[in-house]
Amino acid sequence: MDFNFSEDQQQLRDAVRRWVSKAYTFERRRADVAAGGFSRSTYTELAELGLTALAVPEAHGGLGQGPVDVMVALEELGRGIVLEPLAQAVVASAVLSQYAPPAAQALWLPRIASGEALVVLAHQERKARYRLDVCSAKAQASGDGHVLTGLKSLVPAGDQADAFLVPAQLDGQIALFLVERGAGGVRTMGYGTQDGSRAAELEFTDSPATLLTQHGLTALTLAQDIANAALCAEAVGVMEQTLHITVDYMNQRKQFGVAIASFQALRHRVADMKMQLELARSMSYYASLKITAPAAERHLAIARARVQLGQSMRFIGQQAVQLHGGIGVTDEYIVSHYFKRLTQLEMSFGDTLHHLGEVSAGMQETAGVFA
Amino acid sequence: MDLAFTPEEQAFREETRAWIRSHLPEDIAHKVRNALRLSRDDLQRWAKILGSRGWLGHGWPKQFGGPGWTAVQKHLFEEECALACAPRVIPFGPVMVAPVIMAFGTPEQQQRFLPGIASGEVWWSQGYSEPGSGSDLASVKTRAEREGDHYVVNGQKTWTTLGQYGEWIFCLVRTSTEGKPQTGISFLLIDMKSPGVTVRPIKLLDGEAEVNEVFFDNVKVPVENLIGEENKGWTYAKHLLSHERTNIADVNRSKRELERLKRIAKAEGVWDDQRFRDQIALLEVDVIALEMMVLRVLSAETSGKNPLDIAGLLKIKGSEIQQRYGELMMLAAGPFSLPFIEEAMEAGWQGDQGANALGGFPGGEVANAPLASTYFNMRKTTIYGGSNEVQRNIVAQTVFG
Repeated sequence: MDFNFSEDQQQLRDAVRRWVSKAYTFERRRADVAAGGFSRSTYTELAELGLTALAVPEAHGGLGQGPVDVMVALEELGRGIVLEPLAQAVVASAVLSQYAPPAAQALWLPRIASGEALVVLAHQERKARYRLDVCSAKAQASGDGHVLTGLKSLVPAGDQADAFLVPAQLDGQIALFLVERGAGGVRTMGYGTQDGSRAAELEFTDSPATLLTQHGLTALTLAQDIANAALCAEAVGVMEQTLHITVDYMNQRKQFGVAIASFQALRHRVADMKMQLELARSMSYYASLKITAPAAERHLAIARARVQLGQSMRFIGQQAVQLHGGIGVTDEYIVSHYFKRLTQLEMSFGDTLHHLGEVSAGMQETAGVFA
Repeated sequence: MDLAFTPEEQAFREETRAWIRSHLPEDIAHKVRNALRLSRDDLQRWAKILGSRGWLGHGWPKQFGGPGWTAVQKHLFEEECALACAPRVIPFGPVMVAPVIMAFGTPEQQQRFLPGIASGEVWWSQGYSEPGSGSDLASVKTRAEREGDHYVVNGQKTWTTLGQYGEWIFCLVRTSTEGKPQTGISFLLIDMKSPGVTVRPIKLLDGEAEVNEVFFDNVKVPVENLIGEENKGWTYAKHLLSHERTNIADVNRSKRELERLKRIAKAEGVWDDQRFRDQIALLEVDVIALEMMVLRVLSAETSGKNPLDIAGLLKIKGSEIQQRYGELMMLAAGPFSLPFIEEAMEAGWQGDQGANALGGFPGGEVANAPLASTYFNMRKTTIYGGSNEVQRNIVAQTVFG
């Protein structure tokens, strides 16, 4: 039982933090949002920092690092509300290295590691809400491969990514495929999301698809659990910076002749925000440390973490805006962008009620970190 | 980072679990499991059993006869005690006054007082709070005036937990009115059998007399019962409070009570009611988040680096969780938590045996009588130990710097 970071992890944190504070300014982010919400050159900079290679096995040119290293990197990216979906590289690395046939691994993993290829999860369908087992996209054998037909929504940077991990029905069960954006019959419609990042609707019509695994639901569950652990880590970074911005503001802003940081009602609110931050950080650790546990245990742990993170994100985001007063609801000032990022994270990969349902269904007689 | 305990720690857990489970009397465990009334004898029987193994002062260093456990071992031991349904150790002797005597007492005081605390023979009480002092502890008014080789103590303490059983009491007393309120306080050990000491139980909203008023009327206390130096008591009191850190979260007990809540919910038929069940699920997440926070503090303490200043958060969250499970237990029983039958708090009452006959209550092992009582009793948790509002002041101070 040890919650200290290794020397290497501390160096990783410092490197990402330095990049965020020096290179990834609020002005730069604003320009990226205006330009569509995804910047290939920013993604390349993340690759140069080694972040896209973090979860790729060393045999495929990656760094072969574990969930805690990923957590550290994402906390720091969260601090700068970086738009580019690094978590997708982590998810794709895990799914491909654990489920894909060797040829697909050799083809994609090195390019994910180098940042050359962005491979993202394309699983969301209109009627599925947050369920993974609702899937109407279909695949069938064709020649010595497969073709895939269907619609997918809210795919991160979907009109810029190089390939998609796509679940589809095959022989009565959900299988997982890889489809290249440049493949035949693929149409994309990109758009910005509330937090300024980018997503797309995808349409596949008899698109050539590489079968990764017939155990699609198992692979998807892993993908979503990893995405959620990464989301928790990122959220901790966002919340920590949100609190920091708010406290700074309260020290400067004067009302009735004194800094508003001196008002007890507001100080207690800040104490409550700190509470939510530390509970969230604790559960983010829990989530990342449980990623390697057996599937059922892992999934329940992730759901528990997301219930805490959801509550924390909502509270800290809303209170940060409230404590700022009028300036908090403007687009010009930075805090509203942190609030919107928190809101979007809360509604990604299952919202709080969804995860509460998972916790509720999975309750046993005893419960605890080690139960 | 690693969530797992080491094989040695795991072995330690199993060893202590086996010992606790084979030495804890079942009649006592039964009462704890069902939140029934514990007598002085129950509490002291268990204290002496622990004392016989050298584990009553389980946080003590070896030089004073303690086991010299690490912070993690202490945590595991406390968890195993809680999950086995052992009564909580009454902390005033072994957890509170003993570390002060070890750190600031003379060798004579250590030899005189520590053995009785370690064995569980002597029941200690805490004399801190006074009428009107609330969370402002430095405002103590109880006076101790030096007259030759003794002090004469006059004043009143209150909220003295289980003081009706107390044989000795450690008190903060005012020995000087000069300077800041903190500077004139002394730390005095008082024999409660001394002439002039009167204990009056305070009946609380749950019908129980868990706390007391203690009156001092010209009580003569020998000078050798002063700990450390006169007027330095505040420093010693702070030392004592620094020993509470993770204890105050009481997460181990909350884990056990969460199990009880689930048993009650099943017996009362609300376990399958999604609205109710989700409330339990939310509490379960709270308990696990609190446990993670406690483990983080333990890890920081063990490694000696990266100190975590989140004790205030542990107190706030821990107490909110205690209140919440009490509330949900009462709500689970619904209207059947309303009868107020004082005898039902005793083990062996017919309702406790599951008799569904006239005069009994349905529910068997999970009798309803203590449920509303637990709810009412738990209101204290956000008030004592520095109210949660005071804790928020402290937390805010750490955030704003």
